[in-house]
Amino acid sequence: MTAERKVEDITAKRMLINRLGLGLFALLGVAAVVPLFLIIGDVYIKGIDAINRLGGLWHFLTELPPTPVDERGGIGPMLVGTLYMTALGALFGIAVGFPLGVYIGEMRREKFANVARAGVNILVEFPTIVVGLFVYAVMSLAKEDLNKYLLYPLSKALSPLGGWITWFIGPLDGFNAYAGAAALSIIMIPYVALITASAYASIEQPLREAAYAIGGRDFNALFVVLRKAVSRAVVTAALLGTAKIAGETAPLLFTAFGNTYYAPFTGPTGAVSLWIWYAAQTPYDVLIASAYGAAAVLLTIILIIFIVARIRG
Amino acid sequence: MLGFLLVVLLIPYLIAAYGLLFVKLRWGLRLFGVFIVATIGLLTAMFLVEAYPIIARDGVAVFLEARWDPVRESYGVLQALAGTVLTSAVAMALAMPMALGVAVTINELLPARWRGVFGSLVDLTATMPTVIYGLWGLFVLGPTLQSLVNALAGGTVMTTPYTLFTAGVLLAIMITPYAAAVIREGYSLVPKPVEEAIYAIGATRFEAVLIKLRYVRNYIIGGFFLALGRAMGETVAVAMVVGGNLAKFTTNIFESGITISSLIALQFPNAASYQYMAPALFAAALLLTLFGLVINAVAIYIIQRGQI
Repeated sequence: MTAERKVEDITAKRMLINRLGLGLFALLGVAAVVPLFLIIGDVYIKGIDAINRLGGLWHFLTELPPTPVDERGGIGPMLVGTLYMTALGALFGIAVGFPLGVYIGEMRREKFANVARAGVNILVEFPTIVVGLFVYAVMSLAKEDLNKYLLYPLSKALSPLGGWITWFIGPLDGFNAYAGAAALSIIMIPYVALITASAYASIEQPLREAAYAIGGRDFNALFVVLRKAVSRAVVTAALLGTAKIAGETAPLLFTAFGNTYYAPFTGPTGAVSLWIWYAAQTPYDVLIASAYGAAAVLLTIILIIFIVARIRG
Repeated sequence: MLGFLLVVLLIPYLIAAYGLLFVKLRWGLRLFGVFIVATIGLLTAMFLVEAYPIIARDGVAVFLEARWDPVRESYGVLQALAGTVLTSAVAMALAMPMALGVAVTINELLPARWRGVFGSLVDLTATMPTVIYGLWGLFVLGPTLQSLVNALAGGTVMTTPYTLFTAGVLLAIMITPYAAAVIREGYSLVPKPVEEAIYAIGATRFEAVLIKLRYVRNYIIGGFFLALGRAMGETVAVAMVVGGNLAKFTTNIFESGITISSLIALQFPNAASYQYMAPALFAAALLLTLFGLVINAVAIYIIQRGQI
């Protein structure tokens, strides 16, 4: 059958349905990403204006947040809290997520590895507020004894180092940055694990055999030789996971709680996302403006991480 | 004491797991597997324990009655359950067509050069902080939807910008990428011979797309359930636009409502002042956990059963 005959067979009506149907799919596909541009545009237009109004970029990034009667203010304490908790959470998330990913990606023939894989799949989809509530429950259960037996003696032993140490180590409050970081890391672990697992699972069998041949021990083969084959995917996973947890709010609500002052990380700690959540729901214009400024800062951080991850990956 | 041991033993446990990686790799890796499974088990157990007081007092009535009256220490989460179901239904009805559109656009319609860019945009939609969606919903989407719906209906249907419908539309935007990712994966796995056979019998491009979508229906159903899990659990963005109507039971999507997760987010800060509120909220969290477990288990089962 020649090409021309084939075209004749297709009636005009089917051609029309073809055009309309494909057009509909394209329209729906575009509709899914249009809101992204609307949101980014909205946040930057109102956010940059708000930052200028509240005292310029440097002032906004370092100063205390405005009260309803102020005209200037910033997000300093929240930015510090977000950076600290995200860094800790990402560190812990990668430290546990990577070996876990190797386990569920490399040992697929083990029965328990499949159980762990199902667990990871479930955890990655878990409502993030549930994770926050879980960490809160553990924290309230452990806090008293933890302070009595471990943290009081520890902070006393460390006191010769100077006052700055009390900002990081000391008796914990019910809400603290470490609980926030723990909640964030529980969200990040399955994320890193799944991408690591699929990277390891996609290694071709001959390459794997070669790695075991020159690596000798399991450890060398998996972590030294094959690491080269998957490092790209793993770095991408780590970066995207970090971008994800940097903007999380729900798990921090009952763990870090939020704070508007520069305060020790052992007590309630502010986060940019928590500030947006709080300030946007107040009726004061200046607070809403600072929420938009904070959103612009948070979005910039996340866009930078995302773009770096994409260019590398 | 139990909690203390739990937190303190975590550190030696992880150090042991790392140490074992060098000595006996398989056992070291298994310890990390145990860690994640234990986390899920502990989470469920913890919620059972914390929710026990209210379940001992009211039984399952806490899930079956719609009242939220902390002053009388009377709690029921049916209104939140209804809100979760309604917002998720609106979200899924809007998100699934968009997710199919994304999958088809990326795999069929776009030239190869643009596929990566479009895919990145969709992924970015999934990475955006939920609180920024909430901010946008609060000041842009809510008021826009209100005037749009009222203009279309020719009367005042939405008296407030913040309703279950607003939350559903916002959720649809947020969960589309999750469903789309699964469908995209399945779509790209359609075997070349099958595709060639479809075109060989003279199908138009659109007809081919429909046949291929039917071929990957397991992925579509799996993506549906994964996105549904996300929609039910989403907290911050929903809490900002849903209206925060804690007490009144409503099935009208154009009224303010509440969902389970936003109930927890909005009420937990007050829980310390009441005797049974925290247990009631933990019971709600338990419900959310069970939903999450069941929905994700179904999704994983369907995707694995139907793997091409």
